[in-house]
Amino acid sequence: MESVLLYEHFITLDLFVAAQVVVLGLIGGILSGFIGSGGAFFMTPGMMNLGVPGVVAVGSNITHKFGKAMVGSRKHSELGNVDKRMGLYLIVTSFIGIQIAVWINSTLFEGADAHGSGGSAAADLYISAVFICILSLVAISMLRDAQRSSSSADNTGPSMRIANFLARLRLPPYISFPIADVRVSLWILMLVGLATGYLAGTIGVGGFVGVPCMIYVFGMPTAVAAGTELYLAMFMGGWGALNYAIQGFVDIRLTMLLYLGSLIGIYIGVYGTKVVKEILIRIVTGVVILLCVVSRAVAVPVYLRQLGWVDMDPKWDVYCNVGSKVMLFAAGISGCLLILYHVLKSYRRRLRLQHRLVEARGGASERSHEYAATSTG
Amino acid sequence: MQIICVSRGSLSRGKELAQLLAQKLDYPLLSREDLIEAAIKEGIQVGKLETSMMKPRAFSERLARERDHYLAFSTSYLCSKILEGPLVYHGRTGHLLLQGVGNLLRVRVLADPEYRIAAAMRSLGVDRDKAHRYLEQVEEDRRNWARFMYGVSWEDASQYDVIVNVEQMNVANAASALVTMAQLPDFQMTPAARKAMDDLHLSARARVLLARDEHTYRAGFSVKAHHGVLTVTYLPKDMEVADHIQRVLAELEGVQDIRCTMATTNILWVQETFDPASETFDEVVEIAKKWNAAVELVHFAPGEGAEEATADLAEDDQRMVAAGIEEDVEEEVPDQGGLRATLDELAKLGRSGGGRYVHGERSHLLASCCNAVPYSLVVIGSLFLGKGSSAKLRMTRELQDLIGSRMKVPVVTADELRSHYLFGTRDALRLAGFLVLVLVVYFLVLTNQEPVLRFLSGTWTGGKTLNKLIVAVSVFLFVPVIAYSYGSVARSVMKLIKME
Repeated sequence: MESVLLYEHFITLDLFVAAQVVVLGLIGGILSGFIGSGGAFFMTPGMMNLGVPGVVAVGSNITHKFGKAMVGSRKHSELGNVDKRMGLYLIVTSFIGIQIAVWINSTLFEGADAHGSGGSAAADLYISAVFICILSLVAISMLRDAQRSSSSADNTGPSMRIANFLARLRLPPYISFPIADVRVSLWILMLVGLATGYLAGTIGVGGFVGVPCMIYVFGMPTAVAAGTELYLAMFMGGWGALNYAIQGFVDIRLTMLLYLGSLIGIYIGVYGTKVVKEILIRIVTGVVILLCVVSRAVAVPVYLRQLGWVDMDPKWDVYCNVGSKVMLFAAGISGCLLILYHVLKSYRRRLRLQHRLVEARGGASERSHEYAATSTG
Repeated sequence: MQIICVSRGSLSRGKELAQLLAQKLDYPLLSREDLIEAAIKEGIQVGKLETSMMKPRAFSERLARERDHYLAFSTSYLCSKILEGPLVYHGRTGHLLLQGVGNLLRVRVLADPEYRIAAAMRSLGVDRDKAHRYLEQVEEDRRNWARFMYGVSWEDASQYDVIVNVEQMNVANAASALVTMAQLPDFQMTPAARKAMDDLHLSARARVLLARDEHTYRAGFSVKAHHGVLTVTYLPKDMEVADHIQRVLAELEGVQDIRCTMATTNILWVQETFDPASETFDEVVEIAKKWNAAVELVHFAPGEGAEEATADLAEDDQRMVAAGIEEDVEEEVPDQGGLRATLDELAKLGRSGGGRYVHGERSHLLASCCNAVPYSLVVIGSLFLGKGSSAKLRMTRELQDLIGSRMKVPVVTADELRSHYLFGTRDALRLAGFLVLVLVVYFLVLTNQEPVLRFLSGTWTGGKTLNKLIVAVSVFLFVPVIAYSYGSVARSVMKLIKME
């Protein structure tokens, strides 16, 4: 399925497509609130499945992230969860990472013009490949952690081999961060900033690297890591939005439609974390991310054919695209339904139990009043 | 009865000082090692817990339960030893196990770094560099331990009553000085401190029983005790344990009543006089229901000399005894400031998070608020009632700032509750205003897609580079506005349906 692109970059947006983008935002928002990271791993491939060129999907999503992080980081800052000093150190190299990502994406987009669908096949393939590699690692480690914590009686959290290895290395100069209460080598900081920026600029999921690095490698408290990443995401999002917009790769319509769903979904997701067990959160997250990866892999043959790298009948494109889209929506919707099921179940149980407790307290209070009356009488 | 807690670094001669002190005072000595041994016998995996604290790793739920069990058991063990008579304890942060108990003598011992390095070289048989690194690592581990266990900095001088540097002072002389210091009335256990310790002991024993039971050991609980009334708070995801709590705690000695509250978080409400019929009570309960929170009450009566620096000696002595967490009357306790009536009302609504009386300075109020409790909000009601309106306002603001900076949670006054957390007229107007703005912007963009896309592509008349710059700047400025506007609509709607 090769759609016609307006002004070479933008898809035609009718009511049905617009509704699908809103649903993508809603599911992305729910998953984002539930996982505590951005929902780009769902929204970016989702938009690509709707025919949006990968580079425009990433550009629109990073712009969406910019506004969202700006609103969210204020709250974290009020709670003292933002280490601005660390944020500033990471910003410098993350900007370089974003710049590299934007340059690669735009070059591939322009370069593949002669062969690809609307000039996007090479960029789409590259984005999909990075997406598959990084998110496979994330999903597998999440599922391994979940499996280990359910089977082992003495679970002590995820593997710390890399962190321990880095802690043994002496890489001066070290910089102290009073809010996070850690000391980190400047070189490790620069590396993490670069990787976070590159991934945020390439697939829009810098937080999947940034937050774990801050927790496991730097040893920061989880709340400060999440707050600082959101603070960083605000700058990275702003820088990414500027860079992609200057190349004409930001579709503001998509960004606005994503907000419609995501800013509501995030509340539902956060509520879900309060009523769902940690192990289930890890399993649901791991499975949804893994299915997103598989869904992206299903779309890869189309890009390979468009580039002329494989010999495939073009009529198969539609099956690959539909298969990828169905799998992505099925993963997102079933994950969200599971969260909603637990939210509603817990809400009902909570009401029942609250009612029972109130009745029990009422009864006890009456009994104690009766007892007091008898004693004083 | 007296408690002296000596906090010692590795090879800093703290153990030696504690031993001498105990010998001079003829008090029994309890070490951290004794406590750890008892904890291991209880079945707590202290080694694993310690290792995990010292490495930068994620805190799994199971580890959090192990930590709760350890803290409750250690507190219970220490309290039971203290109840047998005066005691000198030496370890890392023993005083933090007794949070809320006043009149402890908290001593921190420091030694000359060179002495410590030499001692490490001797005991480990390593060179100077390795000994130095070893000591640095041990200090770092202990810092992490204090932070993860109690949420405080081990090196914070305000944690201690006295810091003894044995670099120049002989250990024996330091012990003699501490013996003199221990005679001061500030460090004698008052009935108030004794009462606070009884409550702490009861809550710790209850938490240990919950950690031992096969049906409740996996759940996270917050247990508080006040005059024999236990308030057990648990999370909604652990609601299946609710039926077992009463059974597990039924035979606990000293319990008069057990109140269970299911909550995801806690709201701390500090006030001088509580009234369950007040508007603030209704507002706090409404927020607690919305957030599924337990409400913890603190009846705070600022000490009479709290704000005046100059008080005469007689008053000062009285204040020294009165300061701290107080309830001196052992038997029929009057309901000071309506605390008990308000707690009963909260318990009826299933929202009670327990309560306590705090008299004295602001520092006593802060000391009584456990850092490990996850508060989402602190509400400061009417305080400093004896002051004029301007002084009351100023002192309330100062307290608000102090609590906010120390506890890192939003702190609001009772007057601000409605505007901040409840849906009122201002919210309705805000919702209407932003909704209209959002509808207009979305309508304009979605009904004019062609010109919008032409603008975004930068292909309209003019210089290409300049066009691109204008597009980038426009997107950069437009997106935060739309995110903030629609975010405000979403937040107001969630506030309206009580789900924010």
